[in-house]
Amino acid sequence: MVSKESCRNEIRAAIRQLSDRCLYSAAKWAGEQLVGIEQDPSNFTPSNTRFQRGSSSIRRRFSTSESITTPQPSVGFSQAVTPLPEEDEVIDGDLYLLAKSYFDCREYRRASHVLRDQMSNKSVFLRCYALYLAGEKRKEEEMIELEGPLGKSDAINRELVSLERELSALKRSGAIDSFGLYLYGVVLKEKGNESLARASLVESVNSYPWNWSAWSELQSLCTSIEILNSLNLSNHWMKEFFLANAYQELRMHTESLAKYDYLQGIFSFSNYIQAQTAKAQYSLREFDQVEIMFEDLLRNDPYRVEDMDLYSNVLYAKEACAALSYLAHKVFLTDKYRPESCCIIGNYYSLKGQHEKAVMYFRRALKLNKKYLSAWTLMGHEYVEMKNTPAAIDAYRRAVDINPCDYRAWYGLGQAYEMMGMPFYALHYFRKSIFFLPNDSRLWIAMAKCYQTEQLYMLEEAIKCYKRAVNCTDTEGIALNQLAKLHQKLGRNEEAAFYFEKDLERMDAEGLEGPNMFEALVFLATHFKTHKKFEEAEVYCTRLLDYSGPEKEKAKSLLRGIRMAQTGFPSMDIEHFPL
Amino acid sequence: MAGLTRTAGAFSVTPHKISVCILLEIYAPSAQYLSYPFHSVSEHNRLGLYLLSLTKSCDDIFEPTLEELLHQLRGIGGSMDAWLTGQLIKRFSSLSSPDDLMTFFNEIRGILGNGFVQDDQIILDPNSNLGMFVRRCILAFNLLSFEGVCHLFSSIEVYCKEELCYSAQYGASDKNLESLTQYDQMDMEYVMDKATEKLELQKNACGSLPFHLHTPEALFKVTEGLLITRKEKLRTSKKTTEATPVACSSSSTVEDTLADESLFLRTNLQIQGFLMEQANKIEIHGSSFSSSPIESFLEQLQNLAPELHRVHFLRYLNKLHSDDYFSALDNLLRYFDYSMYGRYEIALLCLGMMHFRFGHPNLALEVLTEAVRVSQQLSNDTCLAYTLAAMSNLLSEMGIASTTSVLGSSYSPVTSTASSLSVQQRVYILLKESLRRADSLKLRRLVASNHLAMAKFELMHVQRPLLSFGPKASIRHKTCPVSVCKEIRLGAHLISDFSSENSTMTVDGSLSTIWLKNLQKRWGQDMFSHDSGSRKSSIFFQFYDRLVSIPGSVSQLIGASYLLRATSWELFGSAPMARMNTLVYATLFGDSSSSSDAELAYLKLIQHLALYKGYKDAFAALKIAEEKFLTVSKSKMLLLKLQLLHEHALHRGNLKLAQRMCNELGGLASTTMGVDMELKVEASLREARTLLAAKQYSQAANVAHSLFCTCHKFNLQIEKASVLLLLAEIHKKSGNAVLGLPYALASISFCQSFNLDLLKASATLTLAELWLGLGSNHAKRALDLLHGAFPMILGHGGLELRARAYIFEANCYLSDPSFSVSTDSETVLDSLRQASDELEALEYHELAAEALYLISMVYDKLGQLEKREEAAALFKMHILALENPQDVEPNMA
Repeated sequence: MVSKESCRNEIRAAIRQLSDRCLYSAAKWAGEQLVGIEQDPSNFTPSNTRFQRGSSSIRRRFSTSESITTPQPSVGFSQAVTPLPEEDEVIDGDLYLLAKSYFDCREYRRASHVLRDQMSNKSVFLRCYALYLAGEKRKEEEMIELEGPLGKSDAINRELVSLERELSALKRSGAIDSFGLYLYGVVLKEKGNESLARASLVESVNSYPWNWSAWSELQSLCTSIEILNSLNLSNHWMKEFFLANAYQELRMHTESLAKYDYLQGIFSFSNYIQAQTAKAQYSLREFDQVEIMFEDLLRNDPYRVEDMDLYSNVLYAKEACAALSYLAHKVFLTDKYRPESCCIIGNYYSLKGQHEKAVMYFRRALKLNKKYLSAWTLMGHEYVEMKNTPAAIDAYRRAVDINPCDYRAWYGLGQAYEMMGMPFYALHYFRKSIFFLPNDSRLWIAMAKCYQTEQLYMLEEAIKCYKRAVNCTDTEGIALNQLAKLHQKLGRNEEAAFYFEKDLERMDAEGLEGPNMFEALVFLATHFKTHKKFEEAEVYCTRLLDYSGPEKEKAKSLLRGIRMAQTGFPSMDIEHFPL
Repeated sequence: MAGLTRTAGAFSVTPHKISVCILLEIYAPSAQYLSYPFHSVSEHNRLGLYLLSLTKSCDDIFEPTLEELLHQLRGIGGSMDAWLTGQLIKRFSSLSSPDDLMTFFNEIRGILGNGFVQDDQIILDPNSNLGMFVRRCILAFNLLSFEGVCHLFSSIEVYCKEELCYSAQYGASDKNLESLTQYDQMDMEYVMDKATEKLELQKNACGSLPFHLHTPEALFKVTEGLLITRKEKLRTSKKTTEATPVACSSSSTVEDTLADESLFLRTNLQIQGFLMEQANKIEIHGSSFSSSPIESFLEQLQNLAPELHRVHFLRYLNKLHSDDYFSALDNLLRYFDYSMYGRYEIALLCLGMMHFRFGHPNLALEVLTEAVRVSQQLSNDTCLAYTLAAMSNLLSEMGIASTTSVLGSSYSPVTSTASSLSVQQRVYILLKESLRRADSLKLRRLVASNHLAMAKFELMHVQRPLLSFGPKASIRHKTCPVSVCKEIRLGAHLISDFSSENSTMTVDGSLSTIWLKNLQKRWGQDMFSHDSGSRKSSIFFQFYDRLVSIPGSVSQLIGASYLLRATSWELFGSAPMARMNTLVYATLFGDSSSSSDAELAYLKLIQHLALYKGYKDAFAALKIAEEKFLTVSKSKMLLLKLQLLHEHALHRGNLKLAQRMCNELGGLASTTMGVDMELKVEASLREARTLLAAKQYSQAANVAHSLFCTCHKFNLQIEKASVLLLLAEIHKKSGNAVLGLPYALASISFCQSFNLDLLKASATLTLAELWLGLGSNHAKRALDLLHGAFPMILGHGGLELRARAYIFEANCYLSDPSFSVSTDSETVLDSLRQASDELEALEYHELAAEALYLISMVYDKLGQLEKREEAAALFKMHILALENPQDVEPNMA
């Protein structure tokens, strides 16, 4: 295990270097991790304790004590492969200082102009980086200026070509440092040259692992587990962060959780890790746990907006109106023009049943970030609620085109088409969604219902789907009941009895009652009676007697029939005698 | 145009439009502007016409670069060229800041002459075409924001810079070029000659093959080797890919535009028009259209304009034609997901057709059933009519090989009411329904295609009462040629509808391009060729064709009606009519039709050649057709080749080869894609004939019997008739004339009820032969039968049939005891000579030997020994050729 002290020293140096190069978000991330490391009890300062006190009580409930002392996961790494970053150029040149101030004031072109003749690595990087950002800024402006009726225009970052030329020349001559490599990777990625970009980023993180921006860029280029495994990364604790994040994006939630668990041993107070863990748990549908984690997170970091949309989803699922409105209000005051904020407000209105307003806020979120996946999907849900199926389909389709692995949107598409009375067409979409999430019983049940519609009436296929749903631990118990009914409809009484019994077991275990229960009992009683298994039939009949209503009468008459048959009288149904 | 509106903003100012404005300023100078002294009125008019064409084509997606524009100007300008180009460049270089653009447009306003007018000033009428163009430009410019003006300004810089770069390079390399060209002149000339020669040849082969049935000697020599070796095939395929100018040029222009794309924004209308053009191209060229360049282009276009959803549809089409199921499905669904509001039934219809094309008829049927339901729900009658037509098409295509169980699972009201009916009856009902709806909705194209489908149905299927009550009701089997003709005629009404309507049903943006092209072409004519008189007619036709501009789909339909006419005449037995209709198709509709239809026409023509002119011509034509259609997937050319080779081998007596061809045909019939019933039947028919030729009578009869059963099972009535005839033939050959008679008679009655006149004539001939086989006392009767069938045989029959009839006639006379050779020899000799001539062309050794034998016998009787020897020598030659076929044709291996 890495010693906490060495981690701390590494990060401290790294933050200084990163912010010196104006890589602010990477510096921010590193800073968060730095405070996330548990303090040595020996050098507590009052301020430190104050910062960390609030969380501990709740955190203890979930970060199991073993996880801190767990033996290292299989990917144990040899330490200290990377030397501590050296402080280059203790005193920056005057020009560099000027350029950095310009940069901080967002005058990128001025900054790069100041550094035009500087040859040190640091200056070259800042010059290129400023140029890149200037190009990005211009690109975004042009995008709005040139926006035609057919959507986005062809605005591009016009600096990319010259940047690529310069950086590749530097790389060839070997006069490029790890930050330059990072920028080179970013430029290559923008130009669409993914494999080269990956190589460059790998080189960058291998020589300087503390740049989280480089890792995130690399992660966005790992679209499959094969690519991820083929990367040649040297071991460092930053790699663990990277892998955890990459696993999560590749929907390998348990692997990801294991990594985060391990990292929490060192960074036990890291908000980042906590949020990521919550994300993974959310995907595993552990809503209660996620809610507590987010509450905790907000207590420590009350002005956090990142990841809060996920929290709002949880609150939505739990129908916690008040909590959701509180959250919405809070993020609204913090920063109302964040896509996450708009999404949270949209969620709130949706929960209140005000779908038009919800759509408006989702639209606003999308205006701020066109590629905001969950807003598209949620907007689709709203349109479905508003019975505006075509708009819903459009929204879902956009989500799917942004990320083809989004099973929610595929499912939404299927649902919308089923609503349109096109079950056969819908099947394709359900199949797609199941392909990405084969272990979810809800999807299987939706597909089965599609097969069951009177237009298709493909019962055999429906039965197959329900069976899969049962295997995926169907929590709502629809599948068993439907299986029994379908078999009954097809005249396969043995199978029907089997599934009714199972369903009954389930309901007993969960302590549920209801019409399904009566139905199962009545069927089983009659079934066993006709098969002359009177004891079983009697058991079910007596259970029925506990309830009032027509079932009770039915049970009575059944019992009478059973008695009659047992005592050898010719079996006859008294009820059917004409009076 | 899905959800896209034509707004005023659909017109944007581009550097090219500014060029046009500058030229307009020269054409109609405002008062204070120095004008060019035009030498003559015609010169001035020429410029005006050119400008008119430029403004007309301003909605085209491809805008010429400055260099291209200057090039065109050089062609137009004559003496004023230098001045024009100089002026243009000068004007552009004077635009050095955004403010200059403002003043430029202010000046342009002056040429509209809405102020006071001087005497000799030429004014543009603000409502004329040119005036409108100027006004639109000014309006569009005024609507621009300052950012927009800046963008326009920077794109003008690029527009001009390119030209300058180019001319600089050009100047530098000019000297080199000159020396080079001089040096290479001779070579180049030589190459050019070669190329034009080749072109001419190809043109002959493609365009006017039908007119030159006597293929030129040179061509014949080229195609002498009947089988192409693999290497050659490779070479030809390479050549054809090189020689697909459409694909290449379009793809190259596509690349070019992409380069431009970053400079100029296109309007909706332009892009939509362009996409429609591309879609047409994909459809016409089918799989021979190389799909990858267009795919990459579409991808880029999608990046540039993500809201342009029609791109998805085009990608779907492209993938469909390159047989990529998954991407096609993906793109289709994506397209319809994006095209909102009430188009779901159309999505289903398209999906159904896609499944059908990829060979999933059951899936297709399910989807189409859902389409029927949804369009009923949304009361979209148009879509319903189309869906029903698609369904009937599907059923009739797969119906032959399918059993009714396929249809069991569908619960649609339409199909379920008909679930007790046979597939054919269901097709009929669906067609009728679709036709009724289409008629009431005035969907003329659908009506026409439904009529054609109906004609096809009438042609192929036996009519009987739809629902049969009682045992006796369904006895009447017959087809009705009158109704077939009626349906075809009704189908062809479409074209008169379109031409009488004076329709402007054009693809957006495409007409204007054609306009410009035509204009240029006409100039080319005037300037370069003075002897255009001879070619006038064809050019006139082109013009007519383009300007009236009948939509491609309509002309395809009309073309299909001609093909169907040809097929129906083929079946009814009128060879000249069939040939004529095919020729009409190949000449008039060859360009606009899909490549598979064109292939079919060629196929029919080649078959005709083989039957009526012999194999040499047929193989020569086949060679040409193969080159033309090599790239078409699922090409039927291979099939045709096997058929021809089989016939040829049978006639020459090379039975081993014949057997091999048979087997290959059988292999083609059942591929992994499914069984082609018609082909399968044909293969076994050929097998039986091969066995017959090998004198293995009982085996041949067995094959024919089982074939008959198959035909009966799958309801192939027409094939039944020919199988019966074959059985009669087998019995005749095996000497069992008595057994053969009932088969021949049955075949004749089949032919009668299906109106297969030619087949009936040939069955009558066989019947007569059978009678003669019973003994010479039946010769009179046989002769009567033959004479009854003679008009049909001589008028429409192929070489073989005619020769057989002639020989048989001679045989009859000779075996008639009352006939004396010495007194009436010419009757016999003439027909025999005729027969032997025709058989010569066919290389049918066996029959030829028989004819020659009879000739020499007659001469013997007449005592003309010299002529007898001559005939006998020929006879011997044929017999030898028959006995060892292999060494005569080493190239057949």
